[in-house]
Amino acid sequence: MGLFNMTKTGVAIALSAQLVLATTAVTMAQAEMLGTDLAISKYAQHQDRTFLMNELQRDDIRAEIVRLGVDPAEAEARLAALTDAEVASIMVQMEKDNAGADVVGTLFTIFVILLVTDILCLTRIFNFTRCVR
Amino acid sequence: MSDTNLQLHPLRALIAILALGWLTACAAPFDPDERLSVDVPTRAAVADVPLIQQEAFYCGPTSIAMVMQWSGHDVTQADIAALAFSPGAGGTYLADMIGSARRKGQLAVEVNNFDTLLGEVSAGHPVIVFQNLGLGIAPVWHYGVVTGYDLQKDAVYLNSGQLDQMVMPFALFERTWRRGDFWGLVVLPPDDLPATAPETAVLNAAAALERVEQFQAAETLYETGATRWPDNWLWQFGLGNARYAQGDLRGARRALLRARAIAPDIPEIQTNLTHVQSLM
Repeated sequence: MGLFNMTKTGVAIALSAQLVLATTAVTMAQAEMLGTDLAISKYAQHQDRTFLMNELQRDDIRAEIVRLGVDPAEAEARLAALTDAEVASIMVQMEKDNAGADVVGTLFTIFVILLVTDILCLTRIFNFTRCVR
Repeated sequence: MSDTNLQLHPLRALIAILALGWLTACAAPFDPDERLSVDVPTRAAVADVPLIQQEAFYCGPTSIAMVMQWSGHDVTQADIAALAFSPGAGGTYLADMIGSARRKGQLAVEVNNFDTLLGEVSAGHPVIVFQNLGLGIAPVWHYGVVTGYDLQKDAVYLNSGQLDQMVMPFALFERTWRRGDFWGLVVLPPDDLPATAPETAVLNAAAALERVEQFQAAETLYETGATRWPDNWLWQFGLGNARYAQGDLRGARRALLRARAIAPDIPEIQTNLTHVQSLM
């Protein structure tokens, strides 16, 4: 019985200590300025809110940017300037461009087609063509 | 026999493409009544956007340089290229267009349709557009700056990386812009707000300036936004943070007090206010 009471007291002390510590931790975490972008995403953001990119994905894209001939420090600065959604758009564009690289080899056909489509006002590649309408 | 077949084949293909081309070319002239849901003037032009001859593959940086020179900044296409161009890709990614403009302290907001494109141009703002001047199968990606339009003359005027202005009929411009997913970008100094952008887009652009540590530009943009949208405390909150980041504690407190006056129950305002006051 006495042992049970002592245990109860012990648990109570431990719990209240933890509560005090947790409260202190929260107060300490707030002892700095809260960022505007956090406030915007909480109170004003409607689009892009679901978009959260993890560090690993950002690392992949950083590596890809460096592979494209950009200095690593500069790649870092570029990524820092972007939101997650904007970084994702770079990824999409990189994939698109790779798909476009397959056309090499059919250059002359493409040249003729573009010449014709230019004249038909579908494209605007060559300065010497005039669009007929 | 087989030789003739080989020779005929590409010719047939060409004829088919020609026929197809005629069909699409004639099918859809640009009808402003149908394509626009806002009233815009019949014609508009932004004066004094310089024409810069782009260096190879620098259409993106050149476009930003033209717009920033128009608004009075001393920048070259090479300056922007250092912040935006990807050599291995032979071009500039859309997101790097936005990022580089921010790192130069500019307000950068996207536009994505004819309403906002023509709305901005008629409000006196040039708009950078992303086009595919070629076809889906043979893309020729390009950035240009729309500086004017004339619905009556059926013309879109672009500064397009050459010393001559480029004039495109609306239908052709639409095709090239559609292939670029109607991506457009307004780049303005932070004391000049885009005419068509929603408030949240401008707020995000301001917070993005803080993120790249362009605190002076962010401060100006928060002030400008607070004048246009006085009922939203977030402008004063951002203003407080931007001033705090520059070491202006008094100014930060003034802004945060105004934020609290607009919205008394927001804990974030109280937290930052307490922090600023603890340092004074």
